[in-house]
Amino acid sequence: MTHGNRLPAPAGLLIDREQPLTFRFEGQLVEGYAGDTIASALASNDIWLLSRSFKYRRPRGALTMAGQDANTLVQLPGRPSVAADLEPISGGLDVYGQNYEGSLKRDRGIWIGWLHRFLPVGFYYKAFYKPRGAWKFWAPFIRAKAGLGRVSEDAPHGYYDKEYRFADVAVVGGGPAGMNAALFAADAGADVILIDENPQLGGALNYARFDSLGEISGNERERLVNAVQSHDNINVMLSTVANGWFSDNFLSLIRGNRMFKLRAKEVVLATGVMEQPAVFRNNDLPRIMMGSAAQRLIRLYGVRPGTQAIVLAANDDAYGVALDLADAGVNIVAIADLRERPEMGLLATAVKEKGWRVETGCAVSEAIAGDGGRSLRGAVLSRIDGKGVTSGAEQLNCDLICMSVGYAPVGQLPCHDGGQLRLDTASSTFVLENLPEHGHAAGSVTGTHSLDAVLATGAHAGWRAARAAGFNAGDEPTIHDGSGDDGHNHDWPLFPHAKGKDFVDYDEDLQVKDILNACADGYEDIELVKRYATVGMGPSQGRHSALNTVRLVTDAIGRSLDEAKPTTVRPPYTAETFGVLAGRMFEPVRYTPMHHRHLELGAQMMVAGPWMRPAYYGSPAERVQVIRGEIAAVRSAVGVLDVSTLGGIEVRGPDAAEFLNRMYTFAYARQPVGRSRYLMMCDETGAIVDDGVTCRFHERHFYVTTTSSGASNVYREMLWWNAQWRLAIDISDVTNAYAAVSLAGPRSREVLDQLTDDIDLSMEAFPYMDVRTGHVAGIPARLLRIGFVGELGFEIHVPSSHGEALWDALVSVGEEFGIRPFGLEAQRVLRLEKGHVIIGQDTDGLTYPAEANMTWAISRKKPFFVGGRANQVHESRTLMRKLVGFVIDDPNAPIPEECHLTLRGNDIVGRVTSAARSDALARIIGLAYVAPSQAKIGETFPIKIETNRFLEAKVVSLPFYDPDNKRQEI
Amino acid sequence: MTSGVLDPAELPRRSPVYRELKDAGARFVESYGGAVAEDFGKVSHDEVDIAKNLAISDFSLLPHFGFKGRQAVDWLRLQGLHIGDQDNVAYRQSDGALAAKLAPREVLLIGDVAGRSDLCARFVENMSIDDEVEAFPVPRGDGYFWFLISGKFAGAMFAKICGVDLRPKYFGELEIAQTSVARMNVVVVRCDLGETLAYQVLGDVASASYLWSCLLEAMAEFNGGLVGHSAIRELAGL
Repeated sequence: MTHGNRLPAPAGLLIDREQPLTFRFEGQLVEGYAGDTIASALASNDIWLLSRSFKYRRPRGALTMAGQDANTLVQLPGRPSVAADLEPISGGLDVYGQNYEGSLKRDRGIWIGWLHRFLPVGFYYKAFYKPRGAWKFWAPFIRAKAGLGRVSEDAPHGYYDKEYRFADVAVVGGGPAGMNAALFAADAGADVILIDENPQLGGALNYARFDSLGEISGNERERLVNAVQSHDNINVMLSTVANGWFSDNFLSLIRGNRMFKLRAKEVVLATGVMEQPAVFRNNDLPRIMMGSAAQRLIRLYGVRPGTQAIVLAANDDAYGVALDLADAGVNIVAIADLRERPEMGLLATAVKEKGWRVETGCAVSEAIAGDGGRSLRGAVLSRIDGKGVTSGAEQLNCDLICMSVGYAPVGQLPCHDGGQLRLDTASSTFVLENLPEHGHAAGSVTGTHSLDAVLATGAHAGWRAARAAGFNAGDEPTIHDGSGDDGHNHDWPLFPHAKGKDFVDYDEDLQVKDILNACADGYEDIELVKRYATVGMGPSQGRHSALNTVRLVTDAIGRSLDEAKPTTVRPPYTAETFGVLAGRMFEPVRYTPMHHRHLELGAQMMVAGPWMRPAYYGSPAERVQVIRGEIAAVRSAVGVLDVSTLGGIEVRGPDAAEFLNRMYTFAYARQPVGRSRYLMMCDETGAIVDDGVTCRFHERHFYVTTTSSGASNVYREMLWWNAQWRLAIDISDVTNAYAAVSLAGPRSREVLDQLTDDIDLSMEAFPYMDVRTGHVAGIPARLLRIGFVGELGFEIHVPSSHGEALWDALVSVGEEFGIRPFGLEAQRVLRLEKGHVIIGQDTDGLTYPAEANMTWAISRKKPFFVGGRANQVHESRTLMRKLVGFVIDDPNAPIPEECHLTLRGNDIVGRVTSAARSDALARIIGLAYVAPSQAKIGETFPIKIETNRFLEAKVVSLPFYDPDNKRQEI
Repeated sequence: MTSGVLDPAELPRRSPVYRELKDAGARFVESYGGAVAEDFGKVSHDEVDIAKNLAISDFSLLPHFGFKGRQAVDWLRLQGLHIGDQDNVAYRQSDGALAAKLAPREVLLIGDVAGRSDLCARFVENMSIDDEVEAFPVPRGDGYFWFLISGKFAGAMFAKICGVDLRPKYFGELEIAQTSVARMNVVVVRCDLGETLAYQVLGDVASASYLWSCLLEAMAEFNGGLVGHSAIRELAGL
């Protein structure tokens, strides 16, 4: 199939006739050229039926050729609802229409249109929900029928990303006004970004006719485009849609798979206008299109839109359409001008000289369908007797109706940030008001239409924007006086028909009677009409229905058109794909210096806050055995655990001890140099929020550790509090500057002794809770004689760049002592055996020390610490729960899981926080919150592990393992 | 500095991205107790051309150090450093090092790309908490990776991953941005290498591998690549 409707050059600005491309539509091979859209390529091959309507399955074709309507939504592989009049063709593309069963031409679902009498506006609000249970019957049917296109779960993944852009002045719209605004701003020195959704600058200059000879647009386009493209201060972004305008001139732009986030000092809106349809019976048939759509087909794609045309006119532009059609070889059957006495502009005068039939005060009252409703066969012209009232009927044959009866501004974008559209009775269209601060409008979006006026508003907007952005923009350009701005819109291009099918909203198949019935049902506010009738809720978001709906609603309810507004406009301007919204997700991850060593050892890594940490070393299939082996190694020989993720904060200065006294619950003023001490931090409500140890290396120097996930929060809290206290200290987060390992087990001292020659590691010289500085494997190190697992142990903190080398040395030297790396899973069991709580696991956001049996970590002698007063209040009240250690003696019992409920009678009193099977203790052990009355040693309480299944747990004293702490203090 | 075939894992100090450098074919030389990528096996002027277009190089093992405290800036000035009053500006020192003033009480010393400056080591040695001066060293040399992004497309590349306008027209020589790049907190210092646009990027060493991969991905659009210290020294005239 080849190009039957193709016009010779120079028609077809966007196509490259040297690059033919072949694609499939509904399985049929179609030929087009590079630069064609799907719709234009099909039109060149005389294919006008593109898809079917959402509700009644009406055949639909191109309406705007600008991607502004839902008539051209087609299905591509993996991409539903693609605008065929925007989407460029590519070789091998496989395109199908949407909303049909069987074939596009012969839709088996067309019967639904015959039921229109039973599907009045709002029918779905009144049906389907009764009798009770009816929805279950209807839902599958409705879901099968509903929707636009098909989402493919097999759609290939694409690469999407985002980019930031910045400009002094952003100009949205690359038409004559936008280009002139950009030039004025750029000449003043502003850095300008000029955005246009089309692949070529020019806007209406690319397709519209401004003079009888049709020469001005081309000449003016060439002049402006050359000036823009050669200007160093202007960055042009084509094929880019501005989809949102947010606070402080933050624009979201989309080009292909990339979203641009543009921040501009000033924004010039030069987005132009959209032509608006007339309403008459069958006004939705393929080949009934906007006059501008026909001009786009001719000028941009070199496609003749028909052979016999009727032009429905209400302004001089319509006569330009007729002239263009005639130039393209289309016979002008008639021009039906809605105006009784039209003002004869340049173009109308030129038409008059052609001698074509022009009927004034005349409307197309009905389009005649052919080919089973799939094409246009003719039109009925009628005299206009009054507002929407016609008489007489003359049927004329035609295969094309072009509607040029008025415009609406493309003013959605500023409405995202406070702008407002209002119906203006003088111009019979919407006007844009309340532009965002630092926003400027130019061109036809402001209601100007003549080319000179459009250029003048562009110049003035560019000048204003440049000046507001801080540039010397020179003398103020002439302000357009507003002449020639009115008279482009007919005030009532609606001609309801007794037989209906007079569509106001193409997306939702809404006819005039639907809007009127919504009003009759009591919905008198435009926002309510929208939601009840779904007008403007389809893919085109009311671009072609809002103006006529406002006219109908205000007329039906008897209100003045003045001040009437369309429904609220929200972003985005056009549909966005999920891929674009998601973009390239950035998810920072933190690795310890030993991370790769863990992987090389077969570690299964787990997420721990922002960190990746080894859970255990071995295959998941052997998880239980591996963890038991790691535990056994620590208990019997020596294990090594990467604890680099622990937070590390240096607190230095003369007030360092006083600061820690205020931040933490314990007392630190008299903590000896060379000793460490437990830390517990509460928030102002008295809840426990973090713990760790502090090492005193100098009278004025404490090294504080935090939990792995709490480091940044603790650091922030410290800064926040000292911003008020103004103590003489410095607080530095050095978490990432130190790598750390915990060397634990009865043979840990022997291992460390092999690598250390400047620290006496003996029990006497380096007792439990002491800290030292020295070298390990030649690496400068801080050694902490502490442990979390209840065995002799050392924490070794070294500069992070040496972390891997330290690990290598320990693992190498430790081999003869049976060293084994262990992960978090083993550590959690080991510490549970020792009865140590994990903040955040065994506590929650409300746990205060008395509940967790941690009042031993509170100094009662100091005057203040964060959360101190709240804890006094807590402790003066009746305790509601208490953390206890428990065992389950039943050897066959399953291990309770975290958050399994603990009960007293039928009352829920708490939950399990930790539980594990302990080889060392030969039973299940755990921690749980119970009622205080259940907290006595030897008491039992039930744990509900599933419906009607309970375990009996017995309260025991802590720690479970090595209660005299002999093993860690040897 | 010694050269030869060298495995970074043989030395005690290791860059957080030494595996990435090794996988990319780096030829390492020893420097500051670790191995740094001298080049990637290309002839020198090829790597210089890459660096002029868009390149990333790793300087994490070269000296960089932080100083904080109420008297930190004054103390450093007393030691002879040139540090102005304005924050978020890097002040170039006579030996090529930079004193990046991050806040009224915080300075990040960044050595020169040839590793010749001894300021960091000298000052750390000179400081003692017994002096009772409220100026404290912060081990940023271990806490912060140090990458260098160079080339004419560097500004455009940053636009894909950073919300601050780092284009040279708007982000001047020796200006500092403490900002988010690929959702990571980093310090960006513009410090051109002769005529070549260049940015020092320093941030959390634990996320160095993450950011390295993000930067390489963002650079691909501009044919960016890896270069060694040799090319950077050549551009810097060192």
